[in-house]
Amino acid sequence: MVKLTHVSKSFGEIKALVDVSFEIKKGEFVFITGPSGAGKTTILKLILREILPTSGQVVFDGEDIVNLPQEKVPYLRQKIGVVFQDYKVLPERTVRENVEVPLAVTGVNPDEWAARVNQVLKLVGLDKRSELFPAQLSGGEIQRVSLARALVVNPKLVMADEPTGNLDWETGDAIMELFEKINKEGKTVIMATHNKHVVERLKKRVIELKDGKMVGQTRVKSEGEEKVEEKKEEEPRQEEKTEEKPKMKVKVEEV
Amino acid sequence: MKIHLKTALGYIKRSPFQALAALFVLTLTFFVGTILAVLVYSSANLLNYFETRPQIITFLKDEITPENVSALQNKLSADVRVKDVRYVSKEEALEIYKQATSDNPLLSELVSPTIFPASLEFSVTDLSFAQEVINEIKEEGIVDSVGFTASLGGEKTLEDVVGRLRTLTLYLRIGGGVFVGVLAGTSLLVILVITGMRITTRRGEIEILNLIGATPAFIRSPIILEALIYSSVGAFVGWLLAFLIWLYATPALIGYFGDIPILPKGTLNLFGLFAIILVGELIIGLGLALSGSYLAVSRARRNR
Repeated sequence: MVKLTHVSKSFGEIKALVDVSFEIKKGEFVFITGPSGAGKTTILKLILREILPTSGQVVFDGEDIVNLPQEKVPYLRQKIGVVFQDYKVLPERTVRENVEVPLAVTGVNPDEWAARVNQVLKLVGLDKRSELFPAQLSGGEIQRVSLARALVVNPKLVMADEPTGNLDWETGDAIMELFEKINKEGKTVIMATHNKHVVERLKKRVIELKDGKMVGQTRVKSEGEEKVEEKKEEEPRQEEKTEEKPKMKVKVEEV
Repeated sequence: MKIHLKTALGYIKRSPFQALAALFVLTLTFFVGTILAVLVYSSANLLNYFETRPQIITFLKDEITPENVSALQNKLSADVRVKDVRYVSKEEALEIYKQATSDNPLLSELVSPTIFPASLEFSVTDLSFAQEVINEIKEEGIVDSVGFTASLGGEKTLEDVVGRLRTLTLYLRIGGGVFVGVLAGTSLLVILVITGMRITTRRGEIEILNLIGATPAFIRSPIILEALIYSSVGAFVGWLLAFLIWLYATPALIGYFGDIPILPKGTLNLFGLFAIILVGELIIGLGLALSGSYLAVSRARRNR
């Protein structure tokens, strides 16, 4: 579903990602963890083609999105539901209207809107608040609006950037339960978070980043709760040997 | 389309003063445009009226035969410089005289048809042909004398009137065109500025729409639709105000100009003229809205 191959991204002097490679299969639930500035959001932005990598390849749904023509980017984004850390809901539209927007964007027949919106609002527990504006909702509810908006077009991939970052424990847990539910329904989920509580509770595959480098990958087998960790150092890649200060790289193998 | 219309109306509701400014300017443009369009139409009609009056009257000799008259009439009708050829017999000439002197019946009692000459009246397609046509027709054997329409006081006066009307019409067209052009330019700038402001204030919303996969056309639609609402409402209101003023003034104008058809005859024809103007203005408004909003959107994209 998603494959990053030797992806690096620099913002001027700052190296946000350094030689990151991993693959996420269809139906997986993957956490991308690490401290602030580790490069979690950068990975999500790369997959959404919000930014381009400095080097490397990003493939989504079999398509090389680095070389995707600009006019096709909206159609790529229509296949991905995103829950943003800062929600990014439209403040002057009601909950219902916010959820309707992706349906309009993707050209879904307006006759189907009501049924689909009602379905996702029920799923996220906002069916009784559909006519309220975001300003009239709590942080957790707004996060649910964002999730409902991401789900309403039935995307192939759902990405969430720190979805519990601004929420209390209880609301965060409720949101996580929703993500788990949609993953069980077959959706691929990528979640960037630094919330260890969330990661430990769900026991899913974890890609760990630090200073833009992938420092490990942990797979927790859900049934037996057997933890498999892989952290392997490798020699710097050939082209990086020419640099003055070669960096140590971590190669992550498929678990 | 419904969601775009809703969004566009939402934009208008949230910034009513911007909307009012745009509507006022566009209304003024189309109000003046409508007034000038009708003035240009009326002046063209006025000019045409004077240009097509029977300008040349060929008085025929008494001894003419119907065959002679018919031959000359056919000759004139075949001439491309000549139009509206009409034969006026002695009896008809008497009738015209009687009508002209109806306020003094004594004058008409003193005359008989025999003292009036039969004549051929006609116009020239362009007054510049008048002199050469007069010279040619004077050579005809059955022609006694040739003159210009007496009602305007002779050749010089008629030329003066038509010349003045032509100048007036030209000034009206050029001056009016420049004035409407300036107003249209102002309207375009207002639409451009308002659309630009809308894009700036909606930057956050545009960013969100971008991230959830909206195409540029989807993002542009409500902004362009808003400009279209301003231009179409402005065009309609401006046209309506001008239409009402013309309707109010029509009886007085018709009374003043009499037979001169400065406005279409009949209510339906008058409404037809205004309907054509409205359609034209809506098309111009569409052009203004599209060009203004596209300019603003492309400028915003360049500056991004």
